[in-house]
Order: sequence, then C-alpha cells, then structure tokens
Amino acid sequence: MMEKRSFKWANLYLVFVFLLLYAPIAYLIYYSFNAGGTMNSFTGFTWEHYQAVFEDTRLIRIALDTLKLALSSALAATIIGTFGAIGIYYVKKRRTRNTLLSFNNILLVSPDVIIGASLLILFTMVGFQLGFTSVFLAHIAFSIPIVVLMVLPRLQEMNDSMVTAARDLGANSFQVLSRIILPSITPGILAGYFMAFTYSLDDFAVTFFVTGGGFSTLSVEIYSRARQGVSLEINALSTILFLFALGLVVGYYFIQQGLEKNKRKRTAVKDPTNHEKAVSPR
Amino acid sequence: MKKLTLMAVAVLALSGVLHLASVQLDRAGGATDGNTFYFYNWGDYIDPELLEKFEEETGYRVVYETFDSNEAMYTKVQQGGTAYDLVIPSEYMIDRMIQEDMLMELDHSRIEGMDNLVKDFLDQPFDPGNRYSIPYFWGTLGIVYNETLIDGESLDSWDDLWSPALKESVMLIDGAREVMGLSLQSLGYSLNSTNDQALQEAADKLDGLVPSVKAIVADEIKTYMIQEEASVAVTFSGEAADMMWENEKLHYVLPEEGSNLWFDNMVIPKTAQNPDAAYAFINFMLEPENAAQNADYIGYSTPNEAAMELLPEETISDEQFYPSEETMDRLEVYENLGPEYLGIYNDLFLEFKIQRN
Repeated sequence: MMEKRSFKWANLYLVFVFLLLYAPIAYLIYYSFNAGGTMNSFTGFTWEHYQAVFEDTRLIRIALDTLKLALSSALAATIIGTFGAIGIYYVKKRRTRNTLLSFNNILLVSPDVIIGASLLILFTMVGFQLGFTSVFLAHIAFSIPIVVLMVLPRLQEMNDSMVTAARDLGANSFQVLSRIILPSITPGILAGYFMAFTYSLDDFAVTFFVTGGGFSTLSVEIYSRARQGVSLEINALSTILFLFALGLVVGYYFIQQGLEKNKRKRTAVKDPTNHEKAVSPR
Repeated sequence: MKKLTLMAVAVLALSGVLHLASVQLDRAGGATDGNTFYFYNWGDYIDPELLEKFEEETGYRVVYETFDSNEAMYTKVQQGGTAYDLVIPSEYMIDRMIQEDMLMELDHSRIEGMDNLVKDFLDQPFDPGNRYSIPYFWGTLGIVYNETLIDGESLDSWDDLWSPALKESVMLIDGAREVMGLSLQSLGYSLNSTNDQALQEAADKLDGLVPSVKAIVADEIKTYMIQEEASVAVTFSGEAADMMWENEKLHYVLPEEGSNLWFDNMVIPKTAQNPDAAYAFINFMLEPENAAQNADYIGYSTPNEAAMELLPEETISDEQFYPSEETMDRLEVYENLGPEYLGIYNDLFLEFKIQRN
C-alpha cells in the first residue's frame, strides 16, 4: 500500500512539472487566436493573425532563409564533425585524445554571447561583409562540437575487429570508411544532423551578432518585433514554429525507429561476427 | 554510405529550392543590383506605405532593417560589415558619430525642401549648420498619466512626481540623462549641468523619489500604461502618443519647469554603398505630404512646417505635442558632456537605481 501511494505522488509530480513547462507555450498559442488584438482578454476566435503572417512577404522570406540556413549549415557541420569525431577516435595517445575532446566540449559549454562576439570581431578584423555567409559560417562553427559529441559514442560502440578484419582482407581506407565505419555510425550522424539543425534553427545570440546586410533569421526578427510591443502576429508565428519543431521531433523518432528495426533485422539474419558484410564484394 | 549520400543530396536540393524561392520573393519585390536602398531605422518608425510609395516613385528597392537603441545601431555601423545607406540616430549619437568621423558630409545642393523645416530645429549644437544630418522627428520628455487613477490637475511639473499621493505608482524611463535631467530641472538647473554641486543636489533629491517609483523600465512602459498597470510614467512624447492612441484615458503633460528636446535625424554613414538613394529618400521625406503622412501614422511631432499645415487641426493645436513658443524656450537639447561627466551622470543614476531594490 505504501508503495502504491508513493507511485501516485511521483505521477502527480511529473504532471505538475510538465504543466509548468508547457503552460506558457499553451498560453501563447491560445492567444494567437484572439480577435481582441492584445493578450489582456480573450474576446473571440480568429485566424486573422495567421493570415497576417502569411501575407507578410518579409517574414516568409526570413522563414525560408532561416530554413535554408539551418539545413545547409547543419549539413556542412555534420560532414566536418563526423570526420572530426573519427579523427579524435583514432588518435592513439590517450592524453591527446582527451585533450582534443575537452577542447571540443569547451566550445559546447561556452556561452553563445562569447562565441557570437568573438566571431563578430573576427569577421570585422578580416574585413568580411556581414550577411548570409557570415551567419552560415558562424552556425557551422557552433554546430560542429555537437555533431562530434553525438557521433563519438557510436564510434566507441563500433566493433573494432570488423575494421581490422576488413583491412586484413585487403580493403583500402576508403572502403573501410564507406563500408564499415559510416554504416555503423549512421544513427549518430543522423542524431548529430538533427541536433545541429535545431541548434541553428533556434539560435539567437550568435546570429544576432553576425547578421547584417538585409539578412535576418526568425529568432532575431521575432526579438526585434517583440521589443516594440508584442503583436499577436508573433504569437501566430511562434505557434507555427512550435508545431514545426513538434513535427521534427516526431519525424526524428520515426527515422530512429526505422534504423533500429533495420539493425535488428540485419543482426538477426547475419552471423554474429558480421564477416560476410564486411567483405562482401560489390 | 549510399543512404547518407542520398540524404545529403536531398538536403542540398531542399536548400537549393528554398534559396530559389527566397530569390523569387525578392524578384517579385523588384530587386536588381545597384538599386537597393538599405535603410536602418528604429522599429516601427515609418509608415510602411511610404516605403512602398518611395519604391514606386524612384525605382529603388528598400531593404528595411530596424534597431532598438542608439547604441546597438552605433555598434553595427561602426564595426563596418554593414552597408546601410541611411540611418536615423538621436542627437547625442549624431554628435558622437560626427566626432568619430563615421558620417558623410551632406551636399546641400542635392537636398530639396530644407526650407520646409522649422528654422528653430536647424543648426542645433550637436550638428552646427546641419552639415551631417536632417531632422526626421522631434519630441520631448514628459509625464503620462491615467485620468481614472490620478487627478491630472495635480500634475503639471516634474516636482509633482515627489508628491506623496503618487506612492509606488510612477514608472521611470531607464536612462541616466533623462532621470538626472528631470531632477536637475525640478531644481531649476540645466539638464546639461556640469556643476558638481548641482549634480549632487539633484542626486540627493532623487533619493526622495524612491518611494514613488514603481519601476524603472524601458520599452515596456508602453504596454504597462496601456494595460493600466501603473498610473504615471515618465516617457518620451512619441511613446506617449502611441499609448494615448491605444488607451484614451491617458494624457501627456509637458512639465512646466521645462524638458528635454530631442531629435531623430537622418544621416548617411560613411559606409553607405548607395548615397544617391539616401539623397533621394531625404528629399522624399522632406516633401510636406510625405512628412505629414508619416507624422499622422507614427504620432511623433514633425519638424516640417509645411507638413504641419497638412495635419489635422486638433493635432497641431495640441500644446503637449506642438508646444507654444514660450514653452519651446524652456526645452533643452542634450549636449555631449564628454566621457567624464557622462560617467558621473551614470554613477549617480546607478546609485539611485540600486537604492530602489
């Protein structure tokens, strides 16, 4: 009986925490349908704020730019980060490896403001025009450590004897990379890509420092609009973004599920040493 | 590997499509190289219809970017990675930018309509002879009150803010020059005072204001006053006009001791890529009907005399926004006090702010 009761309390606590976390968002979404025009009181239902968002070509342009930026910078960061992770993994000296990893982690925990300010100083020093390219480079820079961190555990899980076996059977470096290493760390790469994508999508601080020349992202735009008094158009836009993020999480879940299923199927069919796969000529 | 390559290609294709889409949107707006006009302005500080009209009349395409403080604007322009053609800073920032050689000297032969402007607003101490800047809007610092919460009759000077009746109900704008200035003026000193004794007196007097203060905030004042969360606020006339537009119970008072007279002027930074467009825009804004339309939309006071004639009678006759000459004489423009006294103002204001908590 005692046990049952504590279980209930735990549930209640969980519900409470989630309520607390989601209440502001729910509140914001609720008022995005308000016909009253302010967040003071709900006077009636309307779609007009959503209409306003879609009629605002500047906003749509910025939304497209933001997506383009997130997709492409995450891709570049994933490629660089994956090779970085492989590089770190194959560093022989333990101490050097740990040092490299620490340098990677420092970038991860250092405040965005510092990264943004230092990048701004760098771009200014080399006389770089601020615009899409500067933001693109900045986003790649802060996404790489995340990708490294997501890929590295998968490398550690990888069966090293497979690589040795492949080499033994005459595979060259490229074949080892493309047939053994990359397939076994694919889930990590995907996770890294998604993390980099979301980081880029919602980054404010770094972007704020390095934007210019007519280029802007949604978070910077929302900030500058909110400063002038919150219009419900911002609520509508935030709601759309929230739903988009929700879609991303669900999408990622299914991709991950698909991969797991594939993996289970493969390991069930093939022999435990996976020799066949490692050397199968194609 | 195959799967990963496929995904990468898909991502690239998708970004390509997005890129084309945003370029297409730009095209629809009529963008080609060389006719783009980068305009860096305060948020919500121009009637968007005017931007469209300007595009139609001149063929330039406007890229409109906004800032929320003079300092933010200064940093962006100063670090040089930007190519803004026209910027609208406030007077003290213009002074600083002139001193740091960041502004292009204006060629007055290319500017038409200077005589539309009120003579009193030209040739100000921050820019003698208007060599670098042309007035865009002007205004004052004053007191906004809510008639249902406060008896307006009892509120016509800075000194009235100290009244015990206003306990915990005044919101102050978060600015050292503004708050120190109102204290100085309530004592009869100039708000540009560099007299240490006067400054100390003003700071001491501010201590007495602590019980009345509800909050020291910036842009948020607008929302609070509209939603009637405070009864009195010290804020700029333009902000006040916005609030009064939203909430009819609000009124603006220009204190009788005098107040600050501020300007937001158009300037062309040295980094401008398209000064021709900037001149075209200055001329466009000097045209009386455009200035009038803008003033009507934003609610700030226009420096354009010819435009004032086009504005509704009730706007122009409003003494709080277009004060009489006698009141105008008591208004003071902020002068650049130099880093030493600016530091003193900031320190004294900070001491006041700390006390509050």
